[in-house]
Parts: sequence; structure tokens; C-alpha cells
Amino acid sequence: MVCVGAGPASLTVARDLAALGYEVIVYDGEAKAGGFIRTQIPRFRLPESVIDEEVGYIMNLGVEFRSGQRIESMRELLTQGHDAIFVGCGAPRGRDLDIPGRVEAAAHIHIGIDWLASVSFGHIHQVGRRVIVLGGGNTAMDCCRSARRMGGESVTVVVRSGFDEMKASPWEKEDAQHEGIPIRNYLVPVAFIHIEGQLCAMQFQKVRPEIDANGRRQLLPTGEPDVEIDCDEVLIAVGQENAFPWIERETGIEFDRWGLPKLDPKTHQSTVPKVFFGGDAAFGPKNIIWAVAHGHEAAVSIDKMLNGEDIQDRPLPATVMISQKMGIHEWSYGNDITNAARNKVPWAPAALTLNNIKVEVELGFDHDLAMKEAERCLNCDVQTVFTLDKCIECDACVDICPMDCISFVANGEEADLRQRLTAPALNLTQDLYVADGLKTNRAMVKDEDLCLHCGLCAERCPTGAWDMQKFLLEMTHAGPGCRSGAGLPLKVAA
Amino acid sequence: MIQATNDFVIKFANVNGSGSASANELFAKAILRMGVPVSPRNIFPSNIQGLPTWYEVRVSEAGHLGRRGGVDLMVAMNPQTWATDVAEIESGGYLFYDSTKPLPPSAFREDIQVIGMPLTMLCVKHYNDPRQRQLLKNVLYLGGLSTLLGIEPDVVEKLLAEQYQGKPQLAQPNIDAFRLGRQWAADNLQPIGLKVRRADNVGDRIFVDGNTAAGLGCVYGGATVCAWYPITPSTSVAEAFEKYARKFRTTAEGEKKYAIVQAEDEIASIGMVVGAGWNGSRAFTATSGPGVSLMTEFIGLAHFAEIPATIINVQRGGPSTGMPTRTQQADVLACAYASHGDTKHVLLFPEDPFEAFEQSAAALDLADRLQTPVFVMLDLDIGMNQRLCKPFAWDEQRQYDRGKVLDFEELESGRPFGRYRDVDGDGIPFRTYPGTHPKRGAFFTRGTTKNVDAGYSERGPDYLENVHRLVRKFVTARGLVPQPVVTSARQPTRVGVLFYGSTSPAMHESAQRLASEGLGIDLMRIRAYPFPESVRDFVLAHDHVFLVEQNRDAQLRTLLINEYGLNPAHIQPILHYDGTPITARFISRAIRDHLDRIADLEGRAA
Amino acid sequence: MTYLAKPKLHHPSLKPNKVGFTRRDYEGRISTLCAGCGHDSISASIIQACWELDIEPHRVAKLSGIGCSSKTPDYFLGQSHGFNTVHGRMPSVLTGAYLANSELLYMGVSGDGDSASIGIGQFVHCMRRGVNMVYIVENNGVYGLTKGQFSATADAGSKSKKGVVNTDSPIDLVSLALQLGASYVARSFSGDKTQLVPLIKAAIHHRGAAFIDVISPCVAFNNHAGSTKSYDYVREHNDSVNFLDVIEHRNPIEATQPDDGSLIEVAQHDGSVLRLRKTDPDYDPRDRIGAMNFIARHQAQGEVVTGLLYVDPDARDFHQHLGTVETPLNKLGTADLCPGGTALDKLNASLR
Repeated sequence: MVCVGAGPASLTVARDLAALGYEVIVYDGEAKAGGFIRTQIPRFRLPESVIDEEVGYIMNLGVEFRSGQRIESMRELLTQGHDAIFVGCGAPRGRDLDIPGRVEAAAHIHIGIDWLASVSFGHIHQVGRRVIVLGGGNTAMDCCRSARRMGGESVTVVVRSGFDEMKASPWEKEDAQHEGIPIRNYLVPVAFIHIEGQLCAMQFQKVRPEIDANGRRQLLPTGEPDVEIDCDEVLIAVGQENAFPWIERETGIEFDRWGLPKLDPKTHQSTVPKVFFGGDAAFGPKNIIWAVAHGHEAAVSIDKMLNGEDIQDRPLPATVMISQKMGIHEWSYGNDITNAARNKVPWAPAALTLNNIKVEVELGFDHDLAMKEAERCLNCDVQTVFTLDKCIECDACVDICPMDCISFVANGEEADLRQRLTAPALNLTQDLYVADGLKTNRAMVKDEDLCLHCGLCAERCPTGAWDMQKFLLEMTHAGPGCRSGAGLPLKVAA
Repeated sequence: MIQATNDFVIKFANVNGSGSASANELFAKAILRMGVPVSPRNIFPSNIQGLPTWYEVRVSEAGHLGRRGGVDLMVAMNPQTWATDVAEIESGGYLFYDSTKPLPPSAFREDIQVIGMPLTMLCVKHYNDPRQRQLLKNVLYLGGLSTLLGIEPDVVEKLLAEQYQGKPQLAQPNIDAFRLGRQWAADNLQPIGLKVRRADNVGDRIFVDGNTAAGLGCVYGGATVCAWYPITPSTSVAEAFEKYARKFRTTAEGEKKYAIVQAEDEIASIGMVVGAGWNGSRAFTATSGPGVSLMTEFIGLAHFAEIPATIINVQRGGPSTGMPTRTQQADVLACAYASHGDTKHVLLFPEDPFEAFEQSAAALDLADRLQTPVFVMLDLDIGMNQRLCKPFAWDEQRQYDRGKVLDFEELESGRPFGRYRDVDGDGIPFRTYPGTHPKRGAFFTRGTTKNVDAGYSERGPDYLENVHRLVRKFVTARGLVPQPVVTSARQPTRVGVLFYGSTSPAMHESAQRLASEGLGIDLMRIRAYPFPESVRDFVLAHDHVFLVEQNRDAQLRTLLINEYGLNPAHIQPILHYDGTPITARFISRAIRDHLDRIADLEGRAA
Repeated sequence: MTYLAKPKLHHPSLKPNKVGFTRRDYEGRISTLCAGCGHDSISASIIQACWELDIEPHRVAKLSGIGCSSKTPDYFLGQSHGFNTVHGRMPSVLTGAYLANSELLYMGVSGDGDSASIGIGQFVHCMRRGVNMVYIVENNGVYGLTKGQFSATADAGSKSKKGVVNTDSPIDLVSLALQLGASYVARSFSGDKTQLVPLIKAAIHHRGAAFIDVISPCVAFNNHAGSTKSYDYVREHNDSVNFLDVIEHRNPIEATQPDDGSLIEVAQHDGSVLRLRKTDPDYDPRDRIGAMNFIARHQAQGEVVTGLLYVDPDARDFHQHLGTVETPLNKLGTADLCPGGTALDKLNASLR
């Protein structure tokens, strides 16, 4: 089989299938495998040595890597007799911003993702003194922090919407702010201001959010004067666009109106049965974790297909619940709740990191700090499991629960029930845990939303009606386990 | 026949419930008003009516207030005890009796002078009401005796008027009866060798019993809660407290600044005292040996949880119910070590009513200062007998010592608080009263082991820290309790005598007598346990050391030997424990005998 | 039991009461009792009642004797002074504490061994005196700490965990308290907080000796078939005579309910009102003798009568009986208490 592109999705497919004995060929236009990971994630976040090591694990499984070979035609690829093709070429085109001044000042305006790649490959070494980064995603965060390291003394991130709505992960925003980069929100770009192609500022319109009659959130001009922010260079990181110019429409691979391939969301199969898509190429830009998940699912599809099985018939992930009780008040997980605040990951000194883009910023936890941080774990994998017929309704669990999660009340309509509990269950997205039909005709109702998994309810339960059980999810992987007739060693939840 | 002026012993033998007590007391007081010191002693049964009772009055111009021993004049009014009463009279003494009923010569003795007065006949002749006949018979013999002994009638009549102040219907018949008896004696009886002569040896001293003094001391000492259970001989302590508290601590609106509860038993009494002490009130109970036995669990709690409690123990003859109406100093060990486990308690030993007053008030201060139970070790001899003593004294500037208590302001200022932390190094921690501060200073009190912050702990190190601190506290107590009183011989002497409590008057009399016989002895009166180091030094400074006690087992001696690791052979006990108060004669003889024996041994060895 | 401290984290809806304390502020140390012990539910009820009544924790003094139940004051109201006294003697210590300071709220917690056996004498006398207190007996019919011997409240005919049948007649503390003159008497069940919490609140409002007998199953030694103090038995035989609402400050505009006999309102001395919805039409909790008869009759049928069984809203308490001053005795100083030297001179003169 063939993987197009050597990004995280393709590498995952290769890893899963090569280990099963499939012959896997991976094509990529670049010299080294890794794709987005290598080209767009700045080195100060992910050093090259780490990429080499991890990619190496996969490549050493016997994968054939054809580097520097960009696939230019799907039609041609389909003629080469491969059993399956996985497209994991990513969504390489950054979205542009078509507003006045864009063309005239083009020399000082860059698509963020391309700019990051150029930085990564060493084509670009410096940036203007005053930099504006447009956009609120993780790419924007990478851009601004890279610019900060390349001579950008005043780097400003500008986003259309609110700070809280930014797509970047909270910790990435934090990291940027930590490096002295202001993030200004509710500003819509209006124009690039330039003097004969020499960029000098950007103009923004001030907006405010409002919910319209349909309940949709809109950004409306505040009516205040526009804002100008001086700048020498602008990095546009407002998203990425998909582009599959190399997939000829006559191959039978269909695309939707957004230009994305029509796929079975479960199997990742395209309208041509032996062609599968994953990563940013499948449903548009997401993150690396999703890309890896796509790869695993596609590998399952390919494995089943090549074994002549119905790829729709996929075993669910295996789940296991294992009691954690060791003794009267001993559990095989750490149930003591600490009130300690989150430990910050130690950073390399700013003098070092801001002057060399290749120096990794986060040093990681040392052993002691890692242990401390691990003690803060709320053990979300450990569940409170209630066995109705063992309960004698002594109230011990209700009394001990620090979060007032547990109630013994008459059952009823959910909205009403939520208000009648020991403490109201306010998070409507979190289902209630209800066990109805106790001896007193009441129901045990647990609001899972705030449970600390401290296990005190189970410690104080005299009959073992409450138990703390560790939940284990075993995803379905390519291989004999995903094929029909293959019995799973673990109990499968209904 | 015995000839003595202002120095003799007269004993009244009566039947309990016959109303003799007030007449006898009046007799003693009359002599006192004539400026002649007396020391009366009630010898009474555990009974309300019918059993024998005695009232012994020692008249001593020299001021000896201890029991002397022997009887010079017996007023024998009880046929049941006639034989023993007659037998008790000193040779050459006198017997006064109701001669209404003729008695055979065999009922008398050859070597005494018999004085018969037909008291019943006189009563029958003058009074119709049987009860009145009975009561006035006592006043009749008072009249007769006043003639015989030369007691001034004005003094007696004034006393009768005081006694029946506001009740003229009672006063007059009494005065008439007194005069009748007096006249009859003058007309019919021969003078005798015993005489009372006006003197000036009483001074400003007062005549009061120790229990009254202790009850008053608790009023002055600021006790606001008294919980008690009736038991002889301590009952009158609580009664006196109530009487004086009602008098001095009732507001104009009739509200009381004290609470007195007659509890269901001694356990509840001490429980209430502990509860009140824990909650910041000065509280006390009064009891006697059996009560102390019942209280011991609580006493251990108060010791270990460090709660102030004042216990006035009016000792009686033990063990068990023992001799409820006789005196002993036999609860020393039971109180010093009351309760299970390693416990030690502060004991105070008053010598007379003056000190009963003083030490009861001091005990309340000490209990607060040391946060522990404090015993005032009275005994029946002091507690229930009127005794001539210094007038009660109170320094107007004196403020109660409430000990180490953090108040709201101190807690609010953020001063750190750990209930059982020894912040000053004296073993005494700080405490707080419940309800002081909304956020700070609360703690949990318990009888179990705890850490310095009052948290439950069964850890050895926590336990040791606590009990070692309690030892430090006990050492601190040595300096806070009343210090011993030393009376040195005129010349340096090798003989030292330790004593305490009600032994005091007999001891001083004995020392005087021995000195007059050429044997000088140094005296140390112990006033409290834990013993200050001066007690040990006194022992070590004398070759021959005696410790005089009124119990069988030399309990205080055991305590002393224990406390300082002294050589038992070095301390010779002198023990008197038949229930009667110890006498100077007894002590002198014991000291003499022992010294003679040693001299004899030394002589033989040489 | 549990040895980890209960996490300080709490539900975001947890609110402070009028005096600024959340319900969690009324908690104490972590309980060391067996898992599922009824006593812990009673502690939780006390916490709830004190929070609802806006009581400042330091205004409460908690006292107990010895035994499982008597350990519990350590497990609630951690900001109150507590006193774990000696076995069966909590009533006297509480009485003494109450004498010292009439202003605090006294909460006595005891068990059936503590109050019905070794300490029955003290139980009896503190009820007689009308000490102003809330006296809660956590009644499980068994000695827990010494592993399962019958207590004096165990019913005749009930079976121990080992199968021994109890032949001694039981002591019914409720009937005893009624006879002794307790002016507020109630019985409840640790497994029914909706009943217990209002009963505790009303008891706190009551002036005088308030006694609540709370059947509190011992899961370790007395929760088996054949026990009459088990969760199952009490639930099956619970004969609740009324539902109680405590109305703290009656709104004068509020109209009283129509008098169809189903509702009794009892005004307490402090302005609070106890509103009782009758579940048994024959039961009037203001009738002491009627209550005693009713309880005796129903108990003979094996029923556990619960609810507010008797209340005398006009009861007087021990301080009133004693006629003490309003100022707590422990706040009186030397100037208040010492009669002084002049008075002593006069007294000396009278003794000469």
C-alpha cells in the first residue's frame, strides 16, 4: 500500500500496517519524514532530534520512504496496482486575507504557515521590528513566538473575536503572553497601510459580539473610530485551506462543496473504495492528535478490506472496569485530593530561548516535580460505581461527599430532579447517574460533574454498594483483533 | 481534789438530739468572753437521735487549743455511757450529774468529787411542756456550772439574748432557767477546785469552725459554682457557702451571683465542678473520704485534661464508711494520687479555721493558675469544731488569679495557641474558655492522650511530652503553694518534727512542754503538697526527724519519702488514729520514748 | 472509617449563612467510626441544623461521655469547644458548664450505654433539673467499642449478631425522659434526615431540657435480622406521629392554616414557631400523659414511635429555677464576687 505524505496520519497508518507485515510505501515531497511536525512546529517547541527519533521508530519497521517525491497525479498512482492508498498529505495552503494594501505591500506580508516552514528550513532568519500576527489559533501562537525570537521587538497578536473564543490552546496563549506578546481582540482587519509598498501599519475596525434573533453570535461594529497598529511586517495565520490539485476528478474521488473529499466518517473511505483519507486532508485542519486517530481508523479499514471483510463491521473499543479496593481504606490508586495549584513546567532562561529559535523552551518536569504534579491527578479514569441492591440507605456517602454529589431522593423529571439534589446539578451537558428503586422507593442520584474521585463514598459505604473502579478503554487496532471472528480477550461493553 | 484555775478540761456527756449542743456551745463561748481561751470538741455519733454524744471543752488561759486528754469535770447526762464516763475522770476530778434518780454507791468512784443536781425534778416542777423540760434542763445545768466555776452570769445572759435575738418568747424562759439553775447551785452546792477567772488572753481572735471558714473562703475566693452531695463531716461547708453567698452575692433584684447545686452523688458533684471549671467559672465541691473515692475518675480527668477544680475534703475516719464522725488525716495518699495512672494532685493542709478560709480562697487561685484539681485537706477536728483563731483577713487590692487564659483580644491579635504547648517552660499551657472567639482558640478536651494541640493521639512521643510537662508543672507548683512554717528551738537541736493540719495546737503545746523539760525541738509545719525543697532540707538538717500524723500508715511520710527519695529510717512516724484528736501528751510521750530508746541503744553500743 | 481528611474542595453552590459560615465550616475532624455508622448521619444532621439556624460555631459547647457516640463531637463543629468526659458522666459536666455560662448552646451527645446503663443516674437528674441543653442519645442497642454486647435499650427478644437472645427488659429513654420532666422529647432515626434535622433545630430553639432519642443502627454489630435497631427493622416499624417545620421568625402577615385539626403550631419562648403536620390524628405533643400512653401502647405492638413527642413551650430552665443573674457567672470578676475587707471585719466581729 501507499501513503501519500509523511505527516502524522500517514506515519500512523504505516506504523499500524507495517508491523502486520504489509508492504508500505510512503511518499513525501520533503527530504525527511514528519510533515507538518517537522515543517511547521517551531524547533523551540519540538526539537528536531525528537522528531528524528520518533519517526525513526516507524521507519525502522520496514517502511519504504520515498523522499523528495511529491505525488503529482492520483490517476497515475491508481494505475500502479497498489492494494490501498492512504492520503495524508495535509492541508498545506494557508488562508490569505484579501483586503486593500495586500498586493502593494506583499513583500512584508506572509502566510503564517509558509513563513513557519521557511523559518524551519532556515530560509528566513529575521523579521521586522514591529510585527502583527493575525489570527487566534495555535499557528498564530507559533508565529508570534517565532517572530519574537527573530528580532521582533514589538509583536502583537490581533484577533477578530474575543480572547476566550480563540482556538489556540489556553496554555499556548499563556506561553505567548508570558513572553510579553499582547493579544488584542475584537479587531477586524480593514486594510494594510503602506507608503509605496512600504508597510507601516494596519487598520482595524472595532467590533462587539451580539447574539442575533436566531441565537447566532455576530460581530457588529461598535461605531468607534478604527484602530491603527504600526507594523513593519504582518503574519497571516487565519486558517488553512484545502487543496487537492493533484487528485483528478475523473478518478472517481468525489469532493464536497468545501473542496474536501467525501468520506465515510467512520472508515475514512473515499468514494473510491481503496482510497482513504486522514489527517488535515480528511476533514480539514485539526491537530496532530486527531491526525493520529484518523491514521489508526484508516489502518483498521485497510486491514479489514485487504482481508476481505466488511470494513463497516468494526469492533467497538474494549472497556474494562476493575475494582480498586485494596483494604478498608486503601485503594490501588492515589485517592488523596491535594489542593496544590498546578506546577508550571520549568522553562529554559529567556535570554537563551529568545535568541535562538532552536532552543527548546519547556524543560519538562524533573522527577520530583513530576511526582508532585501527578499527585494532583483527579483520577477521572476511576469511576464511582453503585450497586443498588447492596445499598442500605445509611447516608454515609451523602454525608462524606465533599462535593455534595450524591443524593437519595424521589426520582423525577430530570430538570426538576437536578434542582432537588443535595446540591443542584448545574452542568446540563453532564448526565446524572441515577439508580432508581431503593427499598424506600427513592433513587440514588449522583451528579458526576464535580466528583473528585476521592473514593470517600466507597470508603464509608458499609456494604460495598459503592465501589471505585478503574475504567480502561482499549481502542480497536488494525490486526487480527479488528477482524470478525477474532475474540477479544477483554469484556466488551454493550 | 484537783485545784485549777483557767486550765482544766470539762466534758459533757449527752444524748444526741436532746438539745444539749447549743447549751454546751454557750458554755464554751461564755468562758471565751471572759478572756480565757477554750477549745471545744464535739464528739458525736452518726445518728440524729438517741446515741451518745460528747462535748469536751478545754479551758486554757495559756492558749493551748489542742486536745489535752483526760477529764477534770464530767457532766454526765447520759445513763448509757455512765460507766465509761465516770471511769474517764482524772483522779481527784469531779462528776456532775442529774441526781433526780438515786444511784447506788457502786455507780461512783471513791477518788472523785460527786456533785448532784436534781435537774429533772427542777424542770418538772417549773415547766409543763415535755419538750421544754428537756431543752431547759440543759440551761439549768449551765446555770449550775456557772455558779460552781465562777462564770460571770452577765456574760451568759448576754449570750442567751444574742442567741434568741428577735425571739423574746424564747429568750426569757432560757434566761429564767439559767438563773434558776444558778440559784439552786448557790443554795445547795459546795464550791469546787476548778475556777474560771476573767483574763485577757483571747484578744481579737474569732471563734469559728473550719467548715464555715472554708465556705466563706470560697465566697471570698470567687467561687461561683458549688456542687455537692451531703456527707459528714463536710456538709456544713456547702451550707456555709450558700449562707454567705446569699448574704453577699444577691443583687438588689434578688438575683444570685452564684449557683449551688445539691447533686445526685459525689460523681455528679465533681462532674459539675469540672464542667464549670472547663467553662471558666471557679467551682468547688466539699466532700469527705467516701466522696473522694467516688470522684477519683473525674479527678484523673481534670488532672490529665488540665481543668481547674477545688475540692474541700473534710477528712473523717476511714477506710470505707469508717468512723464518719471521728477525725483522721487518712486521705493523704488517696488524694495525692487520686485516680488511676500516674496522677499527682496539689494538697493544702490548713491548721485552723483561719487557714481554712485563706487556703480555700488560695486553692481557687491555684487551681486556675495550675489548671488542675486542688484539695483543701481539712479534717473533722478543724471542720466541725469551733476553734479560736486569728480573724479572717483579706487584702482589698487582691485580684483573682485566673491563670493563663487567652481572651478574645489576644486571640484576635493572632497570638498562637496550642492548648497543651509549654510556651513558658513552667509546664503550664494556655487555655481558652468556650465561646471566646468565632474562629480561633477552640479545642477538644479529652481524657485520652493528645498532642500539644489537643488532637487525639496514641503516639508514645506525644504521651511522653504531655506527662513530662505535667511533671514540670508539678515542680512549678512547689513554688506556688503555701510554704512550710518553721518554728526553731531556742538552741540548735538535732531533733526536728514535721507535722501538718489539725495536729498543730497539740504539736506546739508538746514542743513547749518538751522545751520546758530541756528538750528543744525544731518544728516544721507542712502546708502543702507538692513539698517545697525546704521540707527535704529540714529532714536532712536533723539527725532525729519525727513526722506526726493522724493516720495508721504514715501516709504523708510515704509521700515525702517517695517525692525526695529520702531514707525511711531517717523519719520516725508518730501516729495517732483512734478517731479522737491527737494530744500534746501523746506526742511528747512518743518523742521521749523514741529518743530514750535510741539513747539506750547508743549506750549499749558504746 | 477513613483516614484521609475530607477534601476542602466543595460544591460551587455552597453558600455562607447569615453569620458567614458555609455548611462545611460546621464540620469537624474526619470520623473514625465504622463505615455506614448511623452516628455519622446524626453528626451531619447537627451540622445541617446549626448551619440552617445561623449559629456561630463558637457559641456551641459540645459535650459527650465515652463510647462510639461520644466520639462524634470531634467530628462536627470543629470550631466549637468540645469535651469528651468520662463514661456516663457527660450530664454533670454539661450541667456544670451550663451553670458557668448560660449564654452558650449546650449540645450533649451520648449513647445508650452511656446514658441508659452506667450513666442513667446522671441522665435522670439532668432531665429533672431542666438544664437548658440539647441532649442527643445515639441509640443502637449495643456496645460497639467493646464489640457487640447488648445495651440496656436492647429490646427483650432481640437477637445479637452471635445469635444470643436478649431477655432483659429494655429501658425506653423517651418514656423515662417524659416521666422525669424533660420539656422537649423527640425520637428519630439516623436514616431519616428530613425528620431529624428539624427536630434538632427545634430542640436548639427550646428552652429547657430537650431530649432526642435517635435510633442509629450499628452496622458492625446490630444491623442483622433479629435486631430491632437495624435499618430494615426501624424502616418497617417506624410510626411517625408528625412532620415538623421550624419557622424561625414568624411573619405576622402570614395567615395561620385553617384549623382542621391536622396542624398544630407551638410558639416557643424565643419567637420561633414549631409547625406540626399530624400524621396521626390522635396525637397531641402538648399532652405529656397522653404522649406517655400513646408511646407505651404503640411500643407494645412493636412499633417505633418517632417525631416530636412532647413539648412544653413555657418550660423554665435550671438557671431560672436557681434565680441566677443574667450575666454568665464566668464573666463575673473580683469586684462582682468578693465581698471585701469591710464586710469581713463585720463578720469577724460576729464571731467573737
